[in-house]
Amino acid sequence: MAVTKVVMPKLSDAMESGKIIKWLKKEGDRINGGDILAEVETDKADVEMEAFGAGVLRKILVPAGETAPIGALIGVIAEPGDDIAAVVASAPATPAGAASAAAPASRPPAATPSAPVAPVARPAAVVSAPAAPTSLGQGTQSGRVKASPLAKKIAAQTGVDLRLIQGSGPGGRIIRRDVEAAESGAAASAMPATARPAAVSGAEFEDVPLTQIRAAIARRMPLSKAPVPHFYVTSEVAMDRAWELREQLNALEGQPKISVNDLVIRACALALLRHPGVNASLQGDAIRVYHRAHIGIAVALDAGLITPVLRDCHAKPLAQIAVEARDLVERARNRKLRAQELSGATFSISNLGMFDVAEFSAIINPPEGAILAVGSVRRVPVVDDAGLGVGRRMMLTISCDHRVMDGAMGARFLQDVKRLLEEPLRLLV
Amino acid sequence: MATHKFDVAVVGTGPGGYVAAIRCAQLGLSVATVEDDRPGGVCLNWGCIPTKALLRNAEVVSLMGHAADYGIRLSGFEASYPEAVQRSRRVADRMAKGVEFLFRKNKITLFPGRGTLKAKNVVEVKGTGGAETLEARAVILATGSEPKSLPGVTIDEKTVISSNGAVRNEHAPRSIAIVGAGAVGVEFADVFASYGVQVTLLEALPRVVPVEDEEVSKELARTFTRRGITIKTGVKVASVKPGGPGAVVDLGGEQLEVEQVLMAVGRAAKVVGLGLEGLGVQLERGFVKVSPAMETSVNGLYAIGDMAGAPLLAHKAMAEGVVAAEAIAGKSPRPVDYGNVPSCTYCRPQIASIGSTEARAREAGREVSVGRFPFTANGKAVAMGETEGFVKVLADRETGEILGVHIIGPEATEIIHEFAVGRTLEATLEEIIHTIHAHPTLSEAALEATLSALGQAIHI
Repeated sequence: MAVTKVVMPKLSDAMESGKIIKWLKKEGDRINGGDILAEVETDKADVEMEAFGAGVLRKILVPAGETAPIGALIGVIAEPGDDIAAVVASAPATPAGAASAAAPASRPPAATPSAPVAPVARPAAVVSAPAAPTSLGQGTQSGRVKASPLAKKIAAQTGVDLRLIQGSGPGGRIIRRDVEAAESGAAASAMPATARPAAVSGAEFEDVPLTQIRAAIARRMPLSKAPVPHFYVTSEVAMDRAWELREQLNALEGQPKISVNDLVIRACALALLRHPGVNASLQGDAIRVYHRAHIGIAVALDAGLITPVLRDCHAKPLAQIAVEARDLVERARNRKLRAQELSGATFSISNLGMFDVAEFSAIINPPEGAILAVGSVRRVPVVDDAGLGVGRRMMLTISCDHRVMDGAMGARFLQDVKRLLEEPLRLLV
Repeated sequence: MATHKFDVAVVGTGPGGYVAAIRCAQLGLSVATVEDDRPGGVCLNWGCIPTKALLRNAEVVSLMGHAADYGIRLSGFEASYPEAVQRSRRVADRMAKGVEFLFRKNKITLFPGRGTLKAKNVVEVKGTGGAETLEARAVILATGSEPKSLPGVTIDEKTVISSNGAVRNEHAPRSIAIVGAGAVGVEFADVFASYGVQVTLLEALPRVVPVEDEEVSKELARTFTRRGITIKTGVKVASVKPGGPGAVVDLGGEQLEVEQVLMAVGRAAKVVGLGLEGLGVQLERGFVKVSPAMETSVNGLYAIGDMAGAPLLAHKAMAEGVVAAEAIAGKSPRPVDYGNVPSCTYCRPQIASIGSTEARAREAGREVSVGRFPFTANGKAVAMGETEGFVKVLADRETGEILGVHIIGPEATEIIHEFAVGRTLEATLEEIIHTIHAHPTLSEAALEATLSALGQAIHI
């Protein structure tokens, strides 16, 4: 009998659960391997989910709009005559259902490996009241989050939301020190999501449920900013010649349009090759130095920030970078990125130039070792040998992980980026 | 002089060294070990294992003495101390052979002799058959420790002995003064007292087993005193001189005449003569300074076990050996959790503890709830006729975190592990009380003490 369990796939590194946006097939439809079954919203983007087995989509267990943790059974594909009762019974009951249904007494052995015992938590449910739940309540509420009993108790007492914490224990289990770190260090940034009961009557605020992306950012950024010791190096770049070059390139017919960001990407890619210490990542007790420059490009969406990755930038000419970067950004906006385009960056660039920002500093996206923050190209008064004139200037600020590199390394890298942009013909050779 | 190349050279084959060697071999590395004694180190040959054999003898002798309590009438019996020592030698020998077997099974080459570092990756082995040179990608030092003495007191292993001499003592003395009431001191006090030796236990600190919880010290002092062991705490040994039946111990005013003196005042890392100075290996308070991956200040040179610092326990050394081996094999091992190392003493009643004592937990500012359960209320202990002692559980009042557990009583050293596992998993009192404990077992006392910390003990 060929019963195929459809489970929530892991579509990105950081993904823990996914929300079914819509099913593209309905119960009773015939499915061939490779058919797109559904669209899934992950913490990073909307991704299409392919079918692996062939047969008839017999049962949809997680309807559109509901969230399921990765590995959870969300549907069953089988031939019309096959008995799917046992497989269906192995799934947790409907998300809203009681957790008591999560562990049926007798479960067929074949169904165990991928069927999670965890019930799906409602997205808006947040631990906030400092009151300790009873031990029974603890058990049901805790199902979705992998955390030690002690971590759960401390979280309940301090009001820390375990769903916003990344566990450092075996298999990502949240242990005491994770909760304590979240409480002391990152509480401030995690808190906006936490609804504290109002002491007085009358609605003074509303609680907007976190989007998947926002929740991922809320979970990951404290993990970057608190444990990663950041330092910042800022440099001003004379962009007159780069600006001029860009205008000339963009005047060429049949050539792709080049943006300032494309120039910055190209400059960074070349500089990263020369400064591998910046293209590096802390891996426990070693520093991994990358020989290829995969650059994450931060893209602002209404739902939050995502960082698609442009691979092998060091090996791509400017025109190719321009075409591919534009495609990535557009697909990010339309939420059509493929899962593999969301991970594996060795360095990132965040550009707020379009918002008339003079300069800013960005938060490193671990395990990357650095991120470059790009300001606007502004026309400013400059003094040179000819006297007072008007020039185009751009501020670059690099945030570096001090565990991986020192100030001088960041400064030398930035100096090289500056030189490449100030002598922009170097970007073309 | 032949030069041999290996991935890893391990100097010292005590519990740290042989475990590290085996774990390296399991991970596919070629391994050489260097040992100037039998494989197994102090632990198997002169420490843990032979003393446990002697303590078992002491237990049997003492049981024979209480045979009438069980309705067994003996018409006299003779307990031969020399034969007890011979038995302990056979036990040690068998365990050392076990290590030799494990080396063969894992294709680990043993170089008998003394190892010295010539460079950070070169070990020179001087054995009876000449010198050989080992070249390795990484070197693990595991040379262990040796007994310390007091200033002015020389250990001759005849009249003034260390634990090394004590396990080799072919005859029990008529009287002995044991200087130091830590684990080694109280274990030998038990052995000698069981064989009718007049034992005086001397401790500079105010109580016996001073690192344990205060209530445990009190309970041990009470049972030892009842068994005829003289305990003097808060005393300083001014000098040990020949005289009387063997030696005269001057306690600054009081003189003690005994046949032998056992120095059990602690152990010092064996770090001299290894070639550490030339390589600039950093030490800290006499121990080799190591990273969480057990690497010394010199890249590629690792140190584990007693020489790498407290606690000086075989099981800590084994755990460190695994970490060092995995680090060398390029894995990222989970570092040893030094806050969760069980500490065990095998005198009767046995003592086992993990985590903080009550005093230290309170000093750390914790709101502590304390649970206690005596073995007198435990069915299995009563049936065994071993009702001395108790289990004491310390927990954080708010969270139920298990801060420390202190057990004195029968098989305490076996009971402690449920709390070790619990603490590793960050279990709280609730997880322990919801774990069904088999009846009748000594471990029920652990459950009851945990219940007691929540004010819910059933059987008392």
